[in-house]
Amino acid sequence: MPISAQSGYGADIAAALYIRSGAAAYDVSAEQFAAILDEILRKYFDLAHNSTHASAEQKADFCAGLRLEELALARACAEGNERAWQDFISRYRHKLHGMALHITRDGAHAAELADSLFADLYGVNARDGVRRSKLVFYTGRGSLEGWLRTVMAQEFINRYRKQKRMVSLEEQTEEGMQFAAAVPEPVCASDRTSDRTSDQRLEAATDEALAELSPEDRFTLASYYLDGRTLAEIARTLGLHESSVSRRLDRLATGLRKRILAGLRMQGMSHAQAAEALETDVRDLRLNLRSRLMQDSGAKTFPEGKVPAQDAGKGSN
Amino acid sequence: MSEVPKIVYDSLCAARPERALPEGTGPERAHPDADLLTAFAEQALSVTERDGVLEHLALCADCREVVALAIPAADIVAAPIATNNEAARATKITTKAARNWLTSPKFAPSLRWAALAAGVAVVASVLLVHPGKLNRAMPPSANRQVATIAPPASGPQIASSPIASSSTDQSAASTKIAEARPRSELRLPKKLKAGQVMTPPHQADLGRLIADNRKDSSQADKLSAAPSAGASAFDAQTRRGATETVEVSAAAVAVEVAPSAERSLTARNETPAIEKAKPALQGIEANEQQKTETTVVSGSARLQARNVMSAAKLALPASPTSARNVTWTITAGVLQRSLDSGQSWQNALRADHPLLCYASHDEDVWTGGQAGTLFHSANSGITWAQVRPSIKAQQLISDVTHIDITHIDVRSDVPGPAEIVVSTSNNEIWSSADGGKTWEKK
Repeated sequence: MPISAQSGYGADIAAALYIRSGAAAYDVSAEQFAAILDEILRKYFDLAHNSTHASAEQKADFCAGLRLEELALARACAEGNERAWQDFISRYRHKLHGMALHITRDGAHAAELADSLFADLYGVNARDGVRRSKLVFYTGRGSLEGWLRTVMAQEFINRYRKQKRMVSLEEQTEEGMQFAAAVPEPVCASDRTSDRTSDQRLEAATDEALAELSPEDRFTLASYYLDGRTLAEIARTLGLHESSVSRRLDRLATGLRKRILAGLRMQGMSHAQAAEALETDVRDLRLNLRSRLMQDSGAKTFPEGKVPAQDAGKGSN
Repeated sequence: MSEVPKIVYDSLCAARPERALPEGTGPERAHPDADLLTAFAEQALSVTERDGVLEHLALCADCREVVALAIPAADIVAAPIATNNEAARATKITTKAARNWLTSPKFAPSLRWAALAAGVAVVASVLLVHPGKLNRAMPPSANRQVATIAPPASGPQIASSPIASSSTDQSAASTKIAEARPRSELRLPKKLKAGQVMTPPHQADLGRLIADNRKDSSQADKLSAAPSAGASAFDAQTRRGATETVEVSAAAVAVEVAPSAERSLTARNETPAIEKAKPALQGIEANEQQKTETTVVSGSARLQARNVMSAAKLALPASPTSARNVTWTITAGVLQRSLDSGQSWQNALRADHPLLCYASHDEDVWTGGQAGTLFHSANSGITWAQVRPSIKAQQLISDVTHIDITHIDVRSDVPGPAEIVVSTSNNEIWSSADGGKTWEKK
């Protein structure tokens, strides 16, 4: 087998990867499989890492860390290999329904979601006369089962959002929602300037304190305080123990308060003023928080109205 | 949990991924694709990539929700267990079981206290009626059933069938047990191998005591490090009956592996054998030097059984190692663990792929499954680490069908590096002599 132009590692390693993948069983040739690996390397090394100078050894290690067997199965399914589909169905058909039930918590919705995803995986929707299976976006970074679960979760969230948008006014009225003009809060004109200055300083101090945190800490805060995730869920996501997450949250809450107060004092406030600003602002911020929570973040989060599942893997193309 | 200032909520809510990204960054950069999110959830990303994904997740509620939904409801982190002291562990297990039972939401608070009071009353009444007799080997009882079965010809058969016998036999048997107690030796059946079944009795759900006697005193000499033999098996009902029986349970399981060099060779074999007998009974082997009679005490004579257990317990030495009473099994691809000798089971590990086999030695536990799944726990399943055996570009991807843990120096009682041998469905054999850090393929 010729050495891949993209990978740069030797033919022996490429051959070993091909053998390990078991792609031959699905009629995927060594050249085809090398092309698949090249595509994945291009995506993760050139586009994502911006490191075109990664060594051949690094690339070989990266490829060795992929789920090659599942990658071969997914790509063979995408190509329409019958045996691959038999294997896929025997392995994942029932699991898909289990996943859907876990996500939707409803039998009917679960069946609908699983069937829909199965159709997408098969590639029912042809584009330009070519059947396009969603499995071509699988790159083997994680398990195929985990990838299916993630894609299904994305699909579920997208569907939920669509359905939420399509609820008619009558239905909302039946559900008890009342439509009334918002009553503006009376604001004392004389206090506006001083409040605005205080808010700005508070926001700046808060943003600065949050920016000093690690991404994992910010994720933990957002998951717990915004999303209402349990300690167990966060712990599973981060691969930690619940008690570690609990201790971390306590530490973060205490530290954030101290940092914000310190930031306010740096901006010229006394300790008493800073503490008062932090406490006083609570009442106002409830309104701000509510107004911000009422915003529909769907359009901003997913540009062009696309779901991440549909965007998955586009970087590799 | 401490509350954060409300301004923090606001700042977190107001944060959006697009604010943190530079101009011209495409949407695929804004949201990690399903592959990255999956690898993140499976802890398979590099540190740099993981930080990048976390940076995005901290700002993007939708992706956080996707990750939360995509993570399977698996209990990777099991409840902590284990202390080093055997007696302390037995007590802890008893206490924990009682606490779980009492604190179960199914139990109304009033019922919990009523149950506790009833238990105290029963114990007090027993102590008052039979003061000082609890530690006798065989107190007089009209209801007890003692059965005699044919002695095993050779080998470690614990299979038995309770047959009613006369009260004379009962007395004789009880006397023999009482005589055997001071010099009893608890040790492992000498030829217990993998695949050998400790056949559970037909009425395994009844509490019973099995005393297996053997003539071979030379084996006892071989295992001179271990104390001299006594063994019993009793079921969950008997253990529920009295606290002492639970304590003996811990001791009994400790007997499964004699603290000698032979232990390391047979450690793995014993556990499946014991599991095949679960949840009905746990074996304790009673060896009298010149007697070959096996005695079975049925669960109906609970007090009697408990007393015998107490007697056996007195003869038992404290086990030098921990985690000896942790029993493992695999059910429907999930590794399960029992802390009470098979009475109850809890999920210890559920992997992405079904687990197929396991091996344990002391606190060291390895389990493998489909698609090269291999996990290792160095603390009896409290925490697990996924191991990915690989040699250069070659990685273990076949189904792991068998795992062996072999101590390199079998004559050494000092814990040291063990050789892990993993067999796969396509007849590959992978081995590691350094606890899974580096691997060789044979």
